[in-house]
Amino acid sequence: MSNGEAPDLVCQLDDVQGIVDALTSVRWKKHQDALVELSEHGIVLVVEESGCLQAKVYLKKDIFHLYEYGAEERPRFGLGLGLFVDCLNTFTAPACSTTLEIRYPGPDMQLLLKSVDPVDACIYAEIRTRIPETISWDNFETTVTLPVSFTVKSAVLKEAIDDLEWPGSSIQIMLNPVPPSVSFRSEGHGDLQIDLHYERTDVLVAFQCDHQVSHRYKYKFIRATTSNIPSSVLKDNRGSKLTIGRGGILKIQHLVALVRPGVHHHVDIGGYQTPARVAYIEFYVKPEEEDTVNG
Amino acid sequence: MHYVLRWFHRDPDGQLWKHPGCEIRHLLNYNANTEYEEGRMKFKAFLRPHGVNLLERRFIPAFDKIGRVCHLYLTRDHAILLHNLLNGDGIQAIAQFKKEVLFEDYRISSQNDDRIALAVDLGLLHRALRSSVSMDGDRLQIKLVKKRAVASEHPMPFLTFESKGYRSAVIQDVPVSKPLSRVDVHHLQTALDMAQGLPQTLVQVPDLFQLQSLVERLKHVGELLNVSITQYGDLHLQVSSTLVTLGTEYRKLRVLGVQVDAPAVDDSISASARIELALQRGEASSVQVSMKHFAKSLQCYLTKPDSAFYGIASQGACLTVIFQFFIPGTRQTDRSISLHCRLPVLDTGTA
Repeated sequence: MSNGEAPDLVCQLDDVQGIVDALTSVRWKKHQDALVELSEHGIVLVVEESGCLQAKVYLKKDIFHLYEYGAEERPRFGLGLGLFVDCLNTFTAPACSTTLEIRYPGPDMQLLLKSVDPVDACIYAEIRTRIPETISWDNFETTVTLPVSFTVKSAVLKEAIDDLEWPGSSIQIMLNPVPPSVSFRSEGHGDLQIDLHYERTDVLVAFQCDHQVSHRYKYKFIRATTSNIPSSVLKDNRGSKLTIGRGGILKIQHLVALVRPGVHHHVDIGGYQTPARVAYIEFYVKPEEEDTVNG
Repeated sequence: MHYVLRWFHRDPDGQLWKHPGCEIRHLLNYNANTEYEEGRMKFKAFLRPHGVNLLERRFIPAFDKIGRVCHLYLTRDHAILLHNLLNGDGIQAIAQFKKEVLFEDYRISSQNDDRIALAVDLGLLHRALRSSVSMDGDRLQIKLVKKRAVASEHPMPFLTFESKGYRSAVIQDVPVSKPLSRVDVHHLQTALDMAQGLPQTLVQVPDLFQLQSLVERLKHVGELLNVSITQYGDLHLQVSSTLVTLGTEYRKLRVLGVQVDAPAVDDSISASARIELALQRGEASSVQVSMKHFAKSLQCYLTKPDSAFYGIASQGACLTVIFQFFIPGTRQTDRSISLHCRLPVLDTGTA
């Protein structure tokens, strides 16, 4: 640091691939602006589209093996998500060391990345940051006393959403308490309905709903929530949790396990369990305005 | 009776290179080839198994990644594959084999000092060699012929591969361009002579495959690559745009040629600053090349070289990569095979 002051953040981690996977899962198009907030708890990255879709990636401080936070107010900055992911991805090349250091700010308010192992090869990156635009940070938060939610195997969710592409441009999601089930329905050129039952099958891992709920969402937004879901999530047979909050806002949560290279990580089959080191990914999708049925 | 399989590939308009596919015809009536007679040009040889292996498994796949069509230049002593020596702006690649490496019974004659150069589609050449490998046959003969292809009025030049087995023969005709004129061969030879100069300082790449996978990732970030090389063995690659600077620095690499002792290391300063200081002291050169060219040069790892060296030609004229091959089972350079690439420089930098 040329200015001699302590940086706002210096952190180091081993599993760069895990971070790349987590960030890639919220990259639904080539050029996306992201907002980053640093705090004593970790790093949060937010992307948003058309005020209807928002995604957040939480990288909690315990996934880093070093996390030195020195700011007084939480620093926020904007950067290009694609560029950030492409830069991070360079650090996953087999040539480079396994430990990545992230530092903010650089002399010109850049985000600085570098490999830190003491070998005679190093990779570094300086990413220019922007003064953040005001993203409606908490617009999507839903506090409901008794939320309607279910947890479905991520692979099943992705497959269902992929299958629902052809009929039309929107998806209706319906939850029924009796019998406990979830239906995804799309109409247009034809119609397709996919029913998932809680009791008879194991595709739904958890189910919580005391009244019938039905909302309609734009297909492209729903698709963005699973289109880049990391293959590790699918391979580990993890679950994704879907919650419908006030006004029909749909929240979809995925967990991406981060492992230290060479350390085997135990994963329970089929649960929405919380391994020690995970990145949390949350999507919020606003429902289509017309035709809101809330029973 | 011989069963003869012939592969032809030719467009109706005589353009050989637009369609990669081969048309396969089974012909029972097989006319004898006419050897190439224009200006008493003749080329005929038998490919050695090792030569077929070198070309089919290693050099042709690598050259095919650089460009579909390359020049094949045959002289009394050498067979040379050349990319982009006559047309200026691409990456130049030169693989030179002593004739004994590839051939036996090598016969060549032309009125131009027994030199023949022609352009050939590497995909077709590769296919012909590959299928000859699967022939459990006798020796594989290669010769330059001129023959009238099916549905064509004029005789066309071909490289014919003929492998005769005990009961069968496979003949494959790979279309080639008309042999280059005396003037063009002269230009080719001049360009080849000019491309032989060595940079003052060369640094050895630690691991070509790892570098390649790194560059595959760098490619997403930018199209221009700054390459800096110091006389004490640092290689610095950097992509820079208005939004991002991304680089990688290798230090203490093996140096060939002009060499100085590394200055007292200041690890606290950034890699870019270190290179800047080296440039100011005149102990480094720096050039900017196309990322695409750089990535293509790394495709030469397909030739399985034993080591690779990067260097910047004097006055930053080009970035040179030299690949070294050892005599199998030794650490001695195999002087019968040479391969190097020259990458055009986009900006002379501060060399």
